[in-house]
Amino acid sequence: MRGRSHSAPEEANVDLTPMLDVVFILLIFFIVTSTFAQEEAIGLEPPPPPAPPQEEQTQSVPAILIYVDESNLITVNGRATDIGSVRANIERVRAETPESQVIIQAHPRAKSGVIVLIRDAAYNAGYRTGVNLVLSQDS
Amino acid sequence: MARRKRQAYAAGGAEDDVNLTPMLDVVFILLIFFIVTAQFIKEPGVAIIRPEVDNKAAAKPLAILIAINEDSEIYIDKKKVSPEEVAFTIKQMREDNPRGEIVVQADVNSSAETLVDVMETINRLDGATAINISAKIE
Repeated sequence: MRGRSHSAPEEANVDLTPMLDVVFILLIFFIVTSTFAQEEAIGLEPPPPPAPPQEEQTQSVPAILIYVDESNLITVNGRATDIGSVRANIERVRAETPESQVIIQAHPRAKSGVIVLIRDAAYNAGYRTGVNLVLSQDS
Repeated sequence: MARRKRQAYAAGGAEDDVNLTPMLDVVFILLIFFIVTAQFIKEPGVAIIRPEVDNKAAAKPLAILIAINEDSEIYIDKKKVSPEEVAFTIKQMREDNPRGEIVVQADVNSSAETLVDVMETINRLDGATAINISAKIE
Protein backbone atom coordinates (compact mmCIF):
# COMPACT_ATOMS: atom_id res chain seq x y z
CA MET A 1 0.00 0.00 0.00
CA ARG A 2 2.63 2.43 0.97
CA GLY A 3 4.58 1.60 -2.15
CA ARG A 4 1.62 2.49 -4.37
CA SER A 5 0.96 5.88 -2.93
CA HIS A 6 3.35 7.52 -5.35
CA SER A 7 1.16 6.65 -8.35
CA ALA A 8 -1.86 8.77 -7.25
CA PRO A 9 -2.99 10.60 -10.39
CA GLU A 10 -3.56 14.28 -10.49
CA GLU A 11 -7.10 13.61 -11.77
CA ALA A 12 -9.47 11.37 -9.82
CA ASN A 13 -11.08 8.89 -12.19
CA VAL A 14 -13.57 6.32 -10.93
CA ASP A 15 -13.02 2.69 -11.79
CA LEU A 16 -16.30 1.52 -13.37
CA THR A 17 -15.42 -2.16 -13.77
CA PRO A 18 -16.96 -3.38 -10.45
CA MET A 19 -20.15 -1.47 -11.19
CA LEU A 20 -20.31 -3.02 -14.65
CA ASP A 21 -19.84 -6.45 -13.05
CA VAL A 22 -22.73 -5.81 -10.70
CA VAL A 23 -24.97 -4.49 -13.48
CA PHE A 24 -24.31 -7.56 -15.64
CA ILE A 25 -24.92 -9.91 -12.75
CA LEU A 26 -28.23 -8.16 -12.02
CA LEU A 27 -29.18 -8.32 -15.70
CA ILE A 28 -28.40 -12.04 -15.91
CA PHE A 29 -30.23 -12.68 -12.64
CA PHE A 30 -33.40 -11.01 -13.89
CA ILE A 31 -33.20 -12.74 -17.28
CA VAL A 32 -32.83 -16.14 -15.64
CA THR A 33 -35.52 -15.69 -12.98
CA SER A 34 -38.11 -14.07 -15.22
CA THR A 35 -41.03 -16.29 -16.15
CA PHE A 36 -42.78 -15.43 -19.33
CA ALA A 37 -46.55 -15.60 -19.39
CA GLN A 38 -47.55 -18.44 -21.63
CA GLU A 39 -50.88 -19.94 -22.40
CA GLU A 40 -51.94 -22.95 -24.40
CA ALA A 41 -55.44 -22.67 -25.65
CA ILE A 42 -58.12 -24.62 -27.49
CA GLY A 43 -60.26 -22.81 -30.04
CA LEU A 44 -63.93 -22.74 -29.15
CA GLU A 45 -66.46 -21.25 -31.53
CA PRO A 46 -68.81 -18.65 -30.12
CA PRO A 47 -72.52 -19.17 -30.71
CA PRO A 48 -73.78 -17.91 -34.06
CA PRO A 49 -75.65 -14.61 -34.00
CA PRO A 50 -79.25 -15.09 -32.94
CA ALA A 51 -81.35 -16.36 -35.85
CA PRO A 52 -85.09 -16.76 -36.05
CA PRO A 53 -85.86 -20.04 -34.31
CA GLN A 54 -87.83 -21.50 -37.21
CA GLU A 55 -84.81 -21.14 -39.48
CA GLU A 56 -82.89 -23.53 -37.28
CA GLN A 57 -85.73 -26.01 -37.51
CA THR A 58 -85.67 -26.05 -41.29
CA GLN A 59 -81.93 -26.59 -41.56
CA SER A 60 -81.27 -29.27 -44.13
CA VAL A 61 -77.78 -30.11 -42.85
CA PRO A 62 -77.88 -33.21 -40.67
CA ALA A 63 -76.69 -32.53 -37.16
CA ILE A 64 -75.11 -34.38 -34.33
CA LEU A 65 -76.81 -32.89 -31.31
CA ILE A 66 -74.84 -33.19 -28.11
CA TYR A 67 -76.87 -32.02 -25.19
CA VAL A 68 -75.34 -31.29 -21.81
CA ASP A 69 -77.96 -30.92 -19.10
CA GLU A 70 -77.92 -29.18 -15.75
CA SER A 71 -76.18 -32.06 -13.98
CA ASN A 72 -73.59 -32.42 -16.77
CA LEU A 73 -75.12 -35.55 -18.26
CA ILE A 74 -74.23 -35.85 -21.92
CA THR A 75 -76.69 -36.99 -24.55
CA VAL A 76 -75.56 -37.59 -28.13
CA ASN A 77 -78.53 -37.65 -30.51
CA GLY A 78 -80.80 -38.74 -27.69
CA ARG A 79 -78.53 -41.43 -26.37
CA ALA A 80 -77.06 -40.88 -22.93
CA THR A 81 -73.32 -41.31 -22.78
CA ASP A 82 -70.28 -40.28 -20.78
CA ILE A 83 -67.43 -37.97 -21.71
CA GLY A 84 -65.10 -40.78 -22.76
CA SER A 85 -67.56 -42.12 -25.33
CA VAL A 86 -68.44 -38.78 -26.94
CA ARG A 87 -65.76 -39.15 -29.58
CA ALA A 88 -66.87 -42.68 -30.49
CA ASN A 89 -70.47 -41.50 -30.71
CA ILE A 90 -69.56 -38.58 -32.94
CA GLU A 91 -67.53 -40.84 -35.22
CA ARG A 92 -70.34 -43.38 -35.41
CA VAL A 93 -72.93 -40.80 -36.46
CA ARG A 94 -70.44 -39.19 -38.81
CA ALA A 95 -69.85 -42.51 -40.53
CA GLU A 96 -73.57 -42.70 -41.29
CA THR A 97 -73.99 -39.08 -42.36
CA PRO A 98 -70.55 -37.69 -43.27
CA GLU A 99 -71.58 -34.09 -43.87
CA SER A 100 -73.24 -33.66 -40.50
CA GLN A 101 -72.42 -30.76 -38.24
CA VAL A 102 -71.94 -30.95 -34.50
CA ILE A 103 -74.17 -28.87 -32.27
CA ILE A 104 -73.26 -28.68 -28.62
CA GLN A 105 -76.29 -27.56 -26.70
CA ALA A 106 -75.51 -26.74 -23.11
CA HIS A 107 -77.72 -25.93 -20.20
CA PRO A 108 -76.75 -22.50 -18.80
CA ARG A 109 -75.70 -24.09 -15.51
CA ALA A 110 -73.68 -26.89 -17.11
CA LYS A 111 -69.96 -26.83 -16.38
CA SER A 112 -67.78 -25.20 -19.00
CA GLY A 113 -65.13 -27.87 -18.48
CA VAL A 114 -67.51 -30.45 -19.94
CA ILE A 115 -68.14 -28.26 -22.98
CA VAL A 116 -64.43 -27.79 -23.59
CA LEU A 117 -63.90 -31.55 -23.32
CA ILE A 118 -66.71 -32.20 -25.82
CA ARG A 119 -65.20 -29.70 -28.25
CA ASP A 120 -61.88 -31.47 -27.77
CA ALA A 121 -63.55 -34.80 -28.56
CA ALA A 122 -65.00 -33.23 -31.71
CA TYR A 123 -61.52 -32.05 -32.69
CA ASN A 124 -60.29 -35.60 -32.16
CA ALA A 125 -63.11 -36.90 -34.34
CA GLY A 126 -61.92 -34.62 -37.14
CA TYR A 127 -64.05 -31.51 -36.71
CA ARG A 128 -61.71 -28.56 -37.24
CA THR A 129 -64.76 -26.43 -37.96
CA GLY A 130 -68.46 -27.03 -38.10
CA VAL A 131 -69.12 -27.18 -34.40
CA ASN A 132 -71.74 -24.88 -32.96
CA LEU A 133 -72.17 -24.11 -29.33
CA VAL A 134 -75.57 -22.96 -28.16
CA LEU A 135 -77.19 -22.52 -24.81
CA SER A 136 -80.48 -24.24 -24.23
CA GLN A 137 -83.23 -21.73 -23.65
CA ASP A 138 -85.13 -23.53 -20.91
CA SER A 139 -83.17 -22.26 -17.94
CA MET B 1 -12.44 16.54 -22.26
CA ALA B 2 -11.88 14.40 -19.24
CA ARG B 3 -11.83 11.37 -21.46
CA ARG B 4 -9.09 12.73 -23.65
CA LYS B 5 -7.03 13.71 -20.66
CA ARG B 6 -7.46 10.26 -19.21
CA GLN B 7 -6.45 8.56 -22.43
CA ALA B 8 -3.36 10.67 -22.58
CA TYR B 9 -2.61 9.73 -19.01
CA ALA B 10 -3.23 6.03 -19.66
CA ALA B 11 -1.08 6.05 -22.77
CA GLY B 12 1.66 7.78 -20.90
CA GLY B 13 1.33 5.65 -17.75
CA ALA B 14 2.55 2.13 -17.23
CA GLU B 15 -0.98 0.62 -16.95
CA ASP B 16 -3.27 0.42 -19.99
CA ASP B 17 -6.91 -0.05 -18.91
CA VAL B 18 -9.80 -0.03 -21.37
CA ASN B 19 -12.25 2.81 -21.04
CA LEU B 20 -15.57 1.15 -20.15
CA THR B 21 -17.72 4.26 -19.92
CA PRO B 22 -19.08 4.18 -23.54
CA MET B 23 -19.93 0.49 -23.17
CA LEU B 24 -21.76 1.22 -19.93
CA ASP B 25 -23.67 3.98 -21.73
CA VAL B 26 -24.72 1.57 -24.46
CA VAL B 27 -25.72 -1.14 -21.97
CA PHE B 28 -27.89 1.28 -20.02
CA ILE B 29 -29.51 2.63 -23.16
CA LEU B 30 -30.34 -0.94 -24.28
CA LEU B 31 -31.72 -1.74 -20.83
CA ILE B 32 -33.93 1.35 -20.85
CA PHE B 33 -35.05 0.62 -24.41
CA PHE B 34 -36.17 -2.90 -23.49
CA ILE B 35 -37.88 -1.71 -20.31
CA VAL B 36 -39.80 0.96 -22.20
CA THR B 37 -40.83 -1.22 -25.14
CA ALA B 38 -41.81 -4.25 -23.05
CA GLN B 39 -45.49 -5.06 -23.14
CA PHE B 40 -46.76 -6.32 -19.86
CA ILE B 41 -49.52 -8.85 -19.52
CA LYS B 42 -52.03 -8.15 -16.81
CA GLU B 43 -52.78 -11.40 -15.04
CA PRO B 44 -56.30 -11.94 -13.72
CA GLY B 45 -54.86 -13.16 -10.44
CA VAL B 46 -57.31 -15.92 -9.58
CA ALA B 47 -56.50 -19.59 -9.33
CA ILE B 48 -58.43 -21.65 -11.83
CA ILE B 49 -58.47 -25.30 -12.83
CA ARG B 50 -57.92 -25.60 -16.55
CA PRO B 51 -59.38 -28.41 -18.62
CA GLU B 52 -57.02 -31.04 -19.98
CA VAL B 53 -57.40 -31.29 -23.75
CA ASP B 54 -55.47 -32.83 -26.64
CA ASN B 55 -55.98 -30.17 -29.30
CA LYS B 56 -54.29 -27.05 -28.07
CA ALA B 57 -51.90 -24.54 -29.44
CA ALA B 58 -49.74 -21.90 -27.83
CA ALA B 59 -51.50 -18.55 -27.91
CA LYS B 60 -48.98 -15.87 -28.68
CA PRO B 61 -48.49 -13.05 -28.54
CA LEU B 62 -50.70 -12.82 -25.50
CA ALA B 63 -52.60 -9.64 -24.97
CA ILE B 64 -55.57 -9.91 -22.66
CA LEU B 65 -56.36 -12.59 -20.11
CA ILE B 66 -59.88 -13.03 -18.84
CA ALA B 67 -60.48 -15.46 -16.01
CA ILE B 68 -63.74 -17.08 -14.98
CA ASN B 69 -63.42 -18.73 -11.61
CA GLU B 70 -65.36 -21.67 -10.25
CA ASP B 71 -68.13 -19.40 -8.95
CA SER B 72 -68.54 -17.97 -12.47
CA GLU B 73 -67.13 -14.58 -11.50
CA ILE B 74 -65.16 -12.77 -14.19
CA TYR B 75 -61.75 -11.35 -13.31
CA ILE B 76 -59.60 -9.10 -15.46
CA ASP B 77 -56.39 -7.52 -14.18
CA LYS B 78 -56.98 -8.70 -10.58
CA LYS B 79 -60.35 -6.98 -10.48
CA LYS B 80 -63.78 -8.54 -10.50
CA VAL B 81 -65.71 -7.41 -13.54
CA SER B 82 -69.44 -7.70 -14.04
CA PRO B 83 -70.57 -9.35 -17.31
CA GLU B 84 -71.85 -6.01 -18.62
CA GLU B 85 -68.48 -4.33 -18.09
CA VAL B 86 -66.44 -6.99 -19.89
CA ALA B 87 -66.77 -5.37 -23.31
CA PHE B 88 -65.76 -1.96 -21.97
CA THR B 89 -62.76 -3.39 -20.08
CA ILE B 90 -61.55 -5.31 -23.14
CA LYS B 91 -61.82 -2.16 -25.26
CA GLN B 92 -59.82 -0.23 -22.69
CA MET B 93 -57.09 -2.87 -22.55
CA ARG B 94 -56.98 -3.11 -26.32
CA GLU B 95 -55.71 0.46 -26.41
CA ASP B 96 -52.56 -0.57 -24.55
CA ASN B 97 -52.21 -3.78 -26.49
CA PRO B 98 -53.72 -3.52 -29.96
CA ARG B 99 -52.35 -6.81 -31.26
CA GLY B 100 -52.30 -10.19 -29.66
CA GLU B 101 -54.63 -12.90 -28.53
CA ILE B 102 -57.42 -12.75 -26.02
CA VAL B 103 -57.40 -15.88 -23.88
CA VAL B 104 -60.28 -16.90 -21.64
CA GLN B 105 -59.17 -18.86 -18.61
CA ALA B 106 -62.36 -20.70 -17.77
CA ASP B 107 -62.44 -22.89 -14.70
CA VAL B 108 -63.80 -26.35 -15.41
CA ASN B 109 -66.54 -25.76 -12.84
CA SER B 110 -67.66 -22.37 -14.12
CA SER B 111 -71.09 -22.21 -15.69
CA ALA B 112 -71.59 -22.50 -19.42
CA GLU B 113 -73.76 -19.39 -19.38
CA THR B 114 -70.91 -17.13 -18.22
CA LEU B 115 -68.45 -18.68 -20.65
CA VAL B 116 -70.80 -18.29 -23.60
CA ASP B 117 -71.58 -14.75 -22.52
CA VAL B 118 -67.89 -13.80 -22.47
CA MET B 119 -67.31 -15.56 -25.78
CA GLU B 120 -70.16 -13.66 -27.40
CA THR B 121 -68.73 -10.40 -26.12
CA ILE B 122 -65.28 -11.16 -27.56
CA ASN B 123 -66.83 -12.23 -30.85
CA ARG B 124 -68.79 -8.99 -31.03
CA LEU B 125 -65.67 -6.89 -30.36
CA ASP B 126 -63.04 -8.78 -32.34
CA GLY B 127 -65.05 -10.79 -34.81
CA ALA B 128 -63.04 -13.81 -33.74
CA THR B 129 -64.53 -17.07 -34.95
CA ALA B 130 -62.62 -19.19 -32.46
CA ILE B 131 -62.13 -18.02 -28.92
CA ASN B 132 -59.03 -19.24 -27.11
CA ILE B 133 -59.90 -21.20 -24.00
CA SER B 134 -56.89 -21.79 -21.81
CA ALA B 135 -55.93 -25.44 -21.39
CA LYS B 136 -53.61 -27.17 -18.98
CA ILE B 137 -49.94 -27.23 -19.95
CA GLU B 138 -48.12 -30.49 -19.20
